[in-house]
Amino acid sequence: MSSSSAPIDWSPMVIGFAAGFISRLISIRTGRTHYPGYPSGYISQLALAIIAAMIGASVIVSLVGKEFTAATFLTLAATQFRDVRTTERQTLEQEEHFILVGRGAGYIEGIAITYEARNYLSMMIALVTSAVTQYTGVVIGGIVGIIAIIIGEIYMSGPKVGDMIEVEPAKIHFEKGSLLYVGDVMMMEVGLPHSRERYQKEGMGVLLTPKGRRGQSVLWNVAQRQAISHEAAAAVGTQKDVGYPEQTPLCRMDMPKGSGRAGLSILPVENNMEALIKAIKNTPVLESGKWSALTSPVLNRKEME
Amino acid sequence: MADAPTPVMFAIVTTSKHAVIGGMAPVFMADDEPERDRIAMWLCRITNCIAHDLHNGTLVLTVNQASSS
Repeated sequence: MSSSSAPIDWSPMVIGFAAGFISRLISIRTGRTHYPGYPSGYISQLALAIIAAMIGASVIVSLVGKEFTAATFLTLAATQFRDVRTTERQTLEQEEHFILVGRGAGYIEGIAITYEARNYLSMMIALVTSAVTQYTGVVIGGIVGIIAIIIGEIYMSGPKVGDMIEVEPAKIHFEKGSLLYVGDVMMMEVGLPHSRERYQKEGMGVLLTPKGRRGQSVLWNVAQRQAISHEAAAAVGTQKDVGYPEQTPLCRMDMPKGSGRAGLSILPVENNMEALIKAIKNTPVLESGKWSALTSPVLNRKEME
Repeated sequence: MADAPTPVMFAIVTTSKHAVIGGMAPVFMADDEPERDRIAMWLCRITNCIAHDLHNGTLVLTVNQASSS
């Protein structure tokens, strides 16, 4: 800002910045993505939040001050936020090889997109708030800021698995000697008696029943089921280590029948059905599984309606 | 991703001589079922493979090629 221009009204910038920053702060929760977990993670997220809110808040002020160069540079800076997604994705992908139950590519992409979008959202909220403040005053600007934050929150929280799918506990049992069943859904073949005993003694099973067509298309998505098993394992733990592939938590469709239901089997560390069901219900619905209603011929059957 | 990784038959453990003939995987003969299960478990833990019971006295051990675990 050159000193020769008219005195600058700082209030739009301050209020816009505050609104954008708060909107980003609300979303920095460790929660389901298990990131950020350490102060270093928070610091980098906070730094990005400050930059994003700054950019959004200062565009209007610089335009009003006839500083077009500054405004152009700000839009340039905004494009730098594309890298946030790549960085986040790379971090999670590298981690993927060393966690026992992977998130799956779909989930990782979803988390990465959310992080990127969060920064843009805070930028937009800052922009809107500072614009309103500029033209109507501090009080209305503040109110609009709060409303923008609330709308942003509602808009950004996508559907959860629990919205579309009924989750209920089911019994784990073996049929024909070695086939692992959850309720009446066949999961896999466990050939080792040792592992079978383990499943019978400590295993937990959950049946996922879709509430409608949307729920079904969500369940048929492999990435979605991987995300569900990851969340399940994160909630109750899993008795598994490298070299014990048959003790991996599994989420499989009721396949020979194709009824659209799925079962989940897990060997938990902590036998807590409530936590397990809550974790599954809170798993976000992945973008890739949201609209693919016609991937399975089963969905077209009349009796499924 | 959507397709299951191709399993490769790693070994065959059996109590019944007549159930298996030749093939690309080594065949481990066991005298009785506990012995068979013990061998299968050892091989599983050593090679990160999965045992499948054919219910004719034979266990087939397979390794998933793209096994991430």
